[in-house]
Amino acid sequence: MDLKQIVKKNKKKIVDQWFKATIETYPANTAKILGKDSNKFDNPVGSTTRETIEDVVDLLCREFTAESLETTIDPIVRIRAVQAFTAAEAVSFVFALKRIGEELFDADRIREFDRLVDSIALAAFNRYSKCKEEIYLLKATESKRRIHRAFERAGLVAELNEEDLLGSKKS
Amino acid sequence: MSDEIKPDELLDKIDYSTGGGSWMDTPVQIRPGMYCYASNPKSVETLGLPNARAWNPLDDDWQLPDNWQEIIHQGLKERLDRFRTFKVFMDICVRCGACADKCHFFLGTGDPKNMPVLRAELLRSVYRNDFTTAAKILSKIPGGKKLSGSRPMTLEVLKEWWYYFFQCTECRRCSVFCPYGIDTAEITIMAREIFNLLGLNIDWIATPVSNCYQTGNHLGIQPHAFKDMLDFFVEDIEEITGVNCAPQYQKKGADILFITPSGDVFADPGTYTCQGYLILFKYLKEKYGLDVTWSTYASEGGNFGFFTSHETMKRLNAKMYAEAKRLGVKWILGGECGHMWRVIHQYMDTMNGPADFLEVPKNPITGTVFENAKSTKMVHITEFTADLIKHGKLELDKSRNANRVMTFHDSCNPSRGMGLLDEPRYVIQNCCDNFFDMPENTIREQTFCCGSGAGLNAGENIELRMAGALPRATALKYVHEKFGVNTLGTICAIDRAALTTLCEYWVPDVEVAGVHELVGNALILPGEKEREEDLRFEPLPDSEEE
Repeated sequence: MDLKQIVKKNKKKIVDQWFKATIETYPANTAKILGKDSNKFDNPVGSTTRETIEDVVDLLCREFTAESLETTIDPIVRIRAVQAFTAAEAVSFVFALKRIGEELFDADRIREFDRLVDSIALAAFNRYSKCKEEIYLLKATESKRRIHRAFERAGLVAELNEEDLLGSKKS
Repeated sequence: MSDEIKPDELLDKIDYSTGGGSWMDTPVQIRPGMYCYASNPKSVETLGLPNARAWNPLDDDWQLPDNWQEIIHQGLKERLDRFRTFKVFMDICVRCGACADKCHFFLGTGDPKNMPVLRAELLRSVYRNDFTTAAKILSKIPGGKKLSGSRPMTLEVLKEWWYYFFQCTECRRCSVFCPYGIDTAEITIMAREIFNLLGLNIDWIATPVSNCYQTGNHLGIQPHAFKDMLDFFVEDIEEITGVNCAPQYQKKGADILFITPSGDVFADPGTYTCQGYLILFKYLKEKYGLDVTWSTYASEGGNFGFFTSHETMKRLNAKMYAEAKRLGVKWILGGECGHMWRVIHQYMDTMNGPADFLEVPKNPITGTVFENAKSTKMVHITEFTADLIKHGKLELDKSRNANRVMTFHDSCNPSRGMGLLDEPRYVIQNCCDNFFDMPENTIREQTFCCGSGAGLNAGENIELRMAGALPRATALKYVHEKFGVNTLGTICAIDRAALTTLCEYWVPDVEVAGVHELVGNALILPGEKEREEDLRFEPLPDSEEE
């Protein structure tokens, strides 16, 4: 059996254990609630975490690219990027897979599986950086977009654009 | 139902471990991205509030007055005597946990201190210590303090209060699920009043309040600029419709005074909602002779005083009635706003009223008497427009909004604060064919907050805002994927601004629009030219096909 088949065969076990390990990165009182199997909209973090983990494990059973892996892991990382995690803590949940893998794979396969986990971790880190960039961009531009743009449209304020600034530098 | 616990979940809840220590032993960490900047001392001075000085929440020394503990104790005591609700809410919570997972900030941040019960407990623990006999007796025995859940007021506790009571948007979703009806928002309101006794407001509240007090609106825009903005909208509308919709200002003897949040006049995409109001009033003037006036003095419907103290809220609110009285109008019509309506519906009448110089609001076009507003004399514009539509008084061309697949976000204050649930939906469905509600546990009375209300829509706390917005975004994403929803309708100025950013982060293909923007697009003005563009200067769905 190749690696993908072993993952497929043990999908439920991997998903359950990975989900539990991810939810346990939250404070104990919170993990109790997020770990509940409740309505998706009453527990958005728990449900999105579970769905994303299922999707990623599904993907591992098929052919995938670095790009599709990044898109698939996005929802879970997008949430963790705005929570009280450091960058390392935000993506650390991926490495729980290595521990889970130890029970499933023999010595020959484990290195291959670990490399797979490394690629998931890199995808998660890429996505984390993108989410943070989006946050900083929103932070930098939202009030300008909201209020300044309305004023500009009305001609109540005028601001030098990039061209003007470069022009004044020359003169 | 999410509340039904399955047997295995119940077993999971039994915790045999000794635990990782009490929440009281977990010190507060004020984290950038989660808190708002401290108030500008000039704004605090303008309002005559105490302890104006420059300070930084990240500093160890908050430059408090020497007797700050005494000020808090006295502040609590006065409020316990004055507000029966506050006293009752301090005493009756049995910590059943029904509210624990109902707060958007808890669900989004995962921080246990954002569970409403625990956020309230931050304050209750000091209340017990200072004011209850049981805690005083128990404090004399070993372990008694832990048993009574009490603790003395320290600087650490104050910082914890400040951090978490500015992570509550006073949305009151938790109160819907509390079997005792405890309104955690009122506990937050009291905590924020106490912060203001020490000069601990945030600037996103203090400066708008100061601007509103001095100039008449939160942005501090002076009357001529207010008029300039509306003039500019009039030009845009004329370009699109060929009709001049110029409003009237300060007109004595007009039928109705119209007041809306300044965000509608100055901030996108509220500006398009504002154009919708102008189009509606022009239509009603031409067709039925209705005389509506705007005011550059009462140029703010919102009231950030509500997030400061009852007294400050009263000072800012007073200008609405004062202007209505000065102009001699019959009653007041209010625009699409959130907390403005909670202030009007629950406080204005007893705070600055009774407004017996105004008439019980009656729609002169339909004859409808707005019984719900007979005391406040102020009607919500979606009630007014819904009434006009119901009586067939508006000619609407839905096809102009055919590119919009709508859903509706119930803003916390109009929905939970005043029960305005069906009117906005009715207006939307009469202006647009495509409407899909979000899942039932996320709308109407159970609506999830935008995560930026109660003065928290600043830039520096954006991580808090995005985390708090997650429950709303999850429901929105669901209808976006299932029904192709591309527009989120709402009737609150903060929502129009906050949800736009929420969508960019969580559901990028969805736009935000006020309900009266749809009305402005659909309403057929007498004498208008054939429209080719909507209020955003985007091609109308029909003309696009051609």
